[in-house]
Amino acid sequence: MALLPENFSFSRKVLPVIAVIGLIIAAIFIWNGLPDRELSDPDQEPPRASGQLADSARVAGAGLVEPSSELVDIGTALPGIITDLRVQAGDFVEKGQVLFTVDDRAIRSSLNESNAAIAEARASINEAQTARRTAQQQLALYRQVEDAAAVSRSEVIRAEGEASAANSRLQLARSRLNAAEARAGSARTELGRLTVRAPMAGEILAVNIRPGEFVSTQGGGNSAPFIRMGETRPLYIRIDIDEADINRVSMGAPATVSPRGAAGEQVQASFVRAEPLVVPKTSLTNSAAERVDVRVLQVLYQLPETDGLFRVGQQVDAFIPAKGDKTAEDGPAEKTAESGDKGAEQGDGE
Amino acid sequence: MLWIAIRMLTGDKQKFYGLLFGIAFSTLLITQQLTIFVNLVERGASGVYNVTEADVWVMDEVSRTTEVNFAMPSTALDKVRGVTGVDWAVPHLRAVASVRTKDGDLEGVEIIGVDDATLIGLPPSMIEGSKSVLFQPDSVIIDDVGTTRMFEGGISPVGERLELNDQRAVIRGVADTIPSFTSQVALYTKYSQALRYVPGSRNRLSFVLVGTSDGVSSEELAARISEKTGLKALPREKLAQNGIDFIMENTGIPLNFGITVILGFIVGVAIVGLTFSLFIRDNIKQFGALKAIGVTNRKIAGMVAAQAFMVGMIGYGLGVLGTVAFIYSFSGDPTFKGFYIPWQVPLISLVAMVLIIVLTGWIALRGVMKTEPAAVFR
Amino acid sequence: MSVSDTKPQPAIRTRGVTRDFKAGQQTIRVLHGIDLDVCPGELTYLVGESGSGKTTMISIMCGILWPTDGDVEVFGTDIYALSDNELVNFRLQNIGFIFQQYNLIPSIDAASNAAVPLIAQGMNRLEARERAVAMLEKLNIGDQAAKLPNQLSGGQQQRVAIARALVHEPRLVVCDEPTAALDAKSGRKVMDLLREVGVAEDRSVIIVTHDNRIFDLADRILVLEDGRITHDGTDMPDDH
Repeated sequence: MALLPENFSFSRKVLPVIAVIGLIIAAIFIWNGLPDRELSDPDQEPPRASGQLADSARVAGAGLVEPSSELVDIGTALPGIITDLRVQAGDFVEKGQVLFTVDDRAIRSSLNESNAAIAEARASINEAQTARRTAQQQLALYRQVEDAAAVSRSEVIRAEGEASAANSRLQLARSRLNAAEARAGSARTELGRLTVRAPMAGEILAVNIRPGEFVSTQGGGNSAPFIRMGETRPLYIRIDIDEADINRVSMGAPATVSPRGAAGEQVQASFVRAEPLVVPKTSLTNSAAERVDVRVLQVLYQLPETDGLFRVGQQVDAFIPAKGDKTAEDGPAEKTAESGDKGAEQGDGE
Repeated sequence: MLWIAIRMLTGDKQKFYGLLFGIAFSTLLITQQLTIFVNLVERGASGVYNVTEADVWVMDEVSRTTEVNFAMPSTALDKVRGVTGVDWAVPHLRAVASVRTKDGDLEGVEIIGVDDATLIGLPPSMIEGSKSVLFQPDSVIIDDVGTTRMFEGGISPVGERLELNDQRAVIRGVADTIPSFTSQVALYTKYSQALRYVPGSRNRLSFVLVGTSDGVSSEELAARISEKTGLKALPREKLAQNGIDFIMENTGIPLNFGITVILGFIVGVAIVGLTFSLFIRDNIKQFGALKAIGVTNRKIAGMVAAQAFMVGMIGYGLGVLGTVAFIYSFSGDPTFKGFYIPWQVPLISLVAMVLIIVLTGWIALRGVMKTEPAAVFR
Repeated sequence: MSVSDTKPQPAIRTRGVTRDFKAGQQTIRVLHGIDLDVCPGELTYLVGESGSGKTTMISIMCGILWPTDGDVEVFGTDIYALSDNELVNFRLQNIGFIFQQYNLIPSIDAASNAAVPLIAQGMNRLEARERAVAMLEKLNIGDQAAKLPNQLSGGQQQRVAIARALVHEPRLVVCDEPTAALDAKSGRKVMDLLREVGVAEDRSVIIVTHDNRIFDLADRILVLEDGRITHDGTDMPDDH
């Protein structure tokens, strides 16, 4: 273009350059604008079957942690005001240990009354005995007098009457004593019933009463139980198995369990028993109004000793090996048959 | 000779710019309409794409898309977890509810319940707040487009209270999502919370989200889950495709955009074809002279091709640039949120342009080829 | 009819050239077996009425129109025995064209227009331009080299066209009514230049014209009537 010095053409020079730059810009924009459709890993560990179970047939279920004794709701035999509360949640108690006492003043005063009646009966007995002795001495004296004229016949009869009256009085006083003593014994029993004791060794899980509150024998119903306790050493888990999966569960094999929200922390729980009754599923999704047409088999597993990883009432996710059912279509089923049986043997051994 | 060809082309400014306009306009129309079409239709799959963790979605047999779903019994989750090859599985709830705003207005919203413990099912990124706000009681996270619909004037919705199914809900975060086809407001909350927000029905579990174990493809696993549980399990892409197909089948969008694209093509063919033919006809004497002087037909064809290529390249470049500018300038608008240009679209319009140019160039060239060199003496 | 057979090596030798055109059902014979020798170094006029077949004749002689019958040899080459591409290349190397309407490319400057045959031969564009400018200078319009055709007058444009016809040193130059679009003065000037620059020892120049103002420049005048040569001489016959 040396011969055309002022050869500058918008159409021929600038436009193609604009077009090429435009295409490059467009390519970059398009490349950068492409949406990221890549899969990402979850931020938090979701529950997953681990180890051998990951590649083999298995049954999954959700469950709740419960004490091995199941939950025991402590009640009271007698209504009244709580005067003394001896335990708090988290305490471990021995069998027979006092949990709380109910106001005993009414019983105590009736005991005092009974004691007073006893003393009074005893005094009556003494008095009757004294009277009887006097009458008997008088009667003996009259009987020793040979001279019939010395003692009038009527005198003798009166003395005999007095002696027998004194006898009756003594018997009455004795029965009164028995009655008073029986009343005292009953009062003492009542007193004992006002002290609530642990029915077994275990951990206090919840205390819903405070001293001064009135407890009635009608406890329960809408109100919370007074005290909930249970044997938490060891803990059990109760796992709901969908009825469709019941026959696939390898009964006796240990389950892989992780608590909700800490799926990375997995433990092996050993088989305890399956409940004989298949029950409607109680929803673990916190929705009270949920109507359910699913029935579940509840299977109990014993959790190993873990340091506070599991707590009573917590939801857990569990994976249980499946039986190598012969109808299973997929290849890995045969492998799992062996592992499942092995697990069952271990479970039985415990 | 190509130099001469280009000079001939650019020498006639009117026709040159007419050709450029034709190509650029046609490219713009086709690219831009196809882009909007693809993005609009992909809105049908936004529910799937907003969840980045799940490889496989398990749903009731009659469920079709993320929006058109039928709930399953809650034990479906455990059934799915029991299938070999399932790395993890979490519940996912999607249901429509009515929300009462602070002003008392009623607004239809989509409640999305994500797994309580892992929060799998939330969109990957947040605009305001963090995902962990869901662990606070009565928390919901709103999507960003929903924010613009429910809270006009750019007020931050964080802290706003809503009433859902007689329950209190507090917005504690804004998620960065691709809006759904209907741009319905989406409220993300924990699964257990969502159960309370959605009016009761017997079954609630809309989906089970599944991650595959290593070494298992999602198609394989989906087939296995379907076989074992009797539920419908679809790989992520398949469910996304179903969402797209649903929009395609149930709206007039494909037809409308198809018509526009075809119109763009026709306009391109018409403008470019006419202008190019006129241009060639104007220069037919020059071409005849060149043929007489001794330029082979092949070289003439090369010249016409060079002219067509130059017009095509510049026009196409400008058209694509225009589309990019359009998408870029509207990217702030909530309606166009997440719009992108699929790389296939410029290629499709490129093919269309090549077609237009080859077609019109060929017609124009035929005139040149048929010109007898002897004609220059008449 | 008359044949000039004195020259040993004719530039063009035609034998029995006939040409038919189809007009609907009819076939019209435009040329009736023309035998003609054109000598190198001469300025030959081909003169005739409209429809006499002179345009057809010159088209056949320069290799852009196939005769229905007969042989055409240009510098000893039977050009219609060549393949299409060989023929095109033969034209490019050996023949220069000057058209009635100049047929310059409007969007490139005069020098580039003049350089077209060289560029078509594959010569570097700048070198071709230099040679074209040199040719334009010979034709006295070197100062117009950088102008576009529409900035030039008709005579200047025709001179650019002459430069284009001569720039690649062809051995045969054919001109179709070179002065028809020019006024008498410019036409005369152009023809003087063509005579001066174009005619060389081994180059033939054939001009188709009916412009009687320029007949005096001819070395030889052929008159064509109804597809037959009726006159062959150095001057026009009196009846024209």
